[in-house]
Amino acid sequence: MSLFNQIVPTLTRSFTRRDQSNGTVPQAEYTLKPAYELKENTDAWTLVVQLPGVAREGLEFTAEDNQVTLRAQRAWKRPDGWTALHRESVDAPYELVLEHEQNVDVEKIQAELKEGVLRVTLPKSEALKPRKIAVN
Amino acid sequence: MNRIIRYSQPINGSLFPLFSARRACAGYDAADRVLESAFADFGAFASEPRFPVDLYEDKENAYVRAALPGVARDDINVEIANGQLSLSASRKNGEETVKFSRSVALPEGAQADKVNATYENGMLTVTLPKQPEVQPRKINLSVN
Repeated sequence: MSLFNQIVPTLTRSFTRRDQSNGTVPQAEYTLKPAYELKENTDAWTLVVQLPGVAREGLEFTAEDNQVTLRAQRAWKRPDGWTALHRESVDAPYELVLEHEQNVDVEKIQAELKEGVLRVTLPKSEALKPRKIAVN
Repeated sequence: MNRIIRYSQPINGSLFPLFSARRACAGYDAADRVLESAFADFGAFASEPRFPVDLYEDKENAYVRAALPGVARDDINVEIANGQLSLSASRKNGEETVKFSRSVALPEGAQADKVNATYENGMLTVTLPKQPEVQPRKINLSVN
């Protein structure tokens, strides 16, 4: 069974414009979809997301009925007086939205952030786990 | 440009292609975007040995910042040889060990013996102190 049938990555989220009307002038904000890896076993999905530069304070992980959302701000800001000579990374916040078919046990999600790598365990809800049926 | 520090571009082949492509063309069409996203999804880990590097400077130092998430401190090597700063790291990804490396030309006048490196939140920052600038010499001319 392909896991992409159950947790479908949203394809067009990278650098999407979002309008933030938190003032007089709406500001467009770009987000970057981080590199991630999704693995499945019988009990749970394991999501590993690469978030270089993100500290725990800047991380926001939300689980809803049919999707999990990750928003992460970089902890580091360029100090005054530093001039950028060459850039390959961007300062945009990370955003990752994964949809699922309500088969994740939202209450038991566990997440750990370590040195810029986030590991999330998304346990499958009981209904989805293989069940042995005794034959009489 | 009268910059004292001069960097040569990091080796082109090891640039993170998705980043550069995204930044270079703002107006690429939807088909490209879908294709690129698909690659980002499935090929993200495969293309990982290229890690992005940023170069900064201020009055006293030059800085190299490299994104190396999830690497143990002991597995990061910072070396200076032949005017090159070499960053290399390895990460165990299950059974296999993935190795990354990048080289950056040292700025002129960097003090190689005073280089300092820190690793935080998956970001490596290398600080390269600049040589104190030579004081301009004042020559007094006695005019007869």
